[in-house]
Amino acid sequence: MAPSETWRLRPGQTLQYRQWDGECILYNDLSGDTHLLGDGAIAMLLALRRAPATRTALAAVLQAEFDIDPAALDLETDTLLRDLQHLNLVEPLAC
Amino acid sequence: MLTVASLSRRQLETRLAGPGLALQTGPIVSRIRSPIRHVADAIALLYGDYPVQGEDGFADFHVGLHRPGGLRRWYKPQVEFDLDGQVPFEPLPEAHAFPMLEWGLNWCISTRAHAYLMIHAAVVERGGRAAILPAPPGSGKSTLCAALVNRGWRLLSDELALFRPRDGVLVPVPRPVSLKNRSIDVIRGYAADAVLSTPVSNTTKGTVAHLKAPTDSVARAHETARPAWIVFPKYEAGAATALTPIPRARAFFRVADNAFNYSHMGARGFATLAAAIEGCASYDFRYSDLDEAMALFAALERAP
Repeated sequence: MAPSETWRLRPGQTLQYRQWDGECILYNDLSGDTHLLGDGAIAMLLALRRAPATRTALAAVLQAEFDIDPAALDLETDTLLRDLQHLNLVEPLAC
Repeated sequence: MLTVASLSRRQLETRLAGPGLALQTGPIVSRIRSPIRHVADAIALLYGDYPVQGEDGFADFHVGLHRPGGLRRWYKPQVEFDLDGQVPFEPLPEAHAFPMLEWGLNWCISTRAHAYLMIHAAVVERGGRAAILPAPPGSGKSTLCAALVNRGWRLLSDELALFRPRDGVLVPVPRPVSLKNRSIDVIRGYAADAVLSTPVSNTTKGTVAHLKAPTDSVARAHETARPAWIVFPKYEAGAATALTPIPRARAFFRVADNAFNYSHMGARGFATLAAAIEGCASYDFRYSDLDEAMALFAALERAP
């Protein structure tokens, strides 16, 4: 993924969630499914709820909140974004 | 208040065979019609304390248990269940009429009462706090529930936990507790004064008998309860009594797996269940000894 690529929450997602003991459950308004997510995923979603953000900015959110090896940060960010996109929770903004 | 017990046997049979018996169980009124003697016998035995509504009043469900026509009426007679004239199930032997009524009423509620988040679970209450026991068949849920209600816990339901979305409380729908196979004798031995229907053998669930709900539970069917514990019971012969905490997120999905209408309710179901999980301590509970199980539930209830 390009560092400058901008992501946003899928329109219609209201992010109803609960966070307990390092695990998060989230209701997907578009699919009606309920997901079990980790802390990193919810941190990314909450950042995107504030405003669309680039991949670089989202990696910075993860870096700031979690003790992630810098060498693994890009891969971690890309994996999370792909997973959340697959669940129809986020999408890249068209340029 | 008119109750089933205040009707003479003749009046009961006349209502069942004619306009229907409008039986109130918690918030639900079911108008039952049936000319079958087993049905009148079991209702007289197990539903004596329940309010009966007027012959022309509103009923949520209009159900019937009738003998289908044809030669089977005379040779190995059968019974069929109908809801508003529709027959959703295959007929069963006539001797299975009362279990079929109970299963049919559960089916009516679990497929239609979408004002509530409905979980397949027993619910018992003490001191205003309720324990929810979700479990698949064979887990010992009903045996545990029957033992608890014979040791002072109030029965809200043996089959259906009804969460009211606007405030998250549990709405009682107390009906007889369905006991199967070995648990019938277990409860007979455990509660000598328990009132049980005549066991019906060779049903799809084996031998089935129903335990009368305590009079106090029926009288307090309008009193909601606050969910406090979610306990997944598992009977295992010879197992030591063990209560193991479950992380909340995991408990959420396990309860949702036992829900009748979680997906149907969408975001409202999520919010209702999440609030319940937040307000409860959740456990796996393995047991083989009912006395030990009762002691453990008493300790739960004493804890702040």
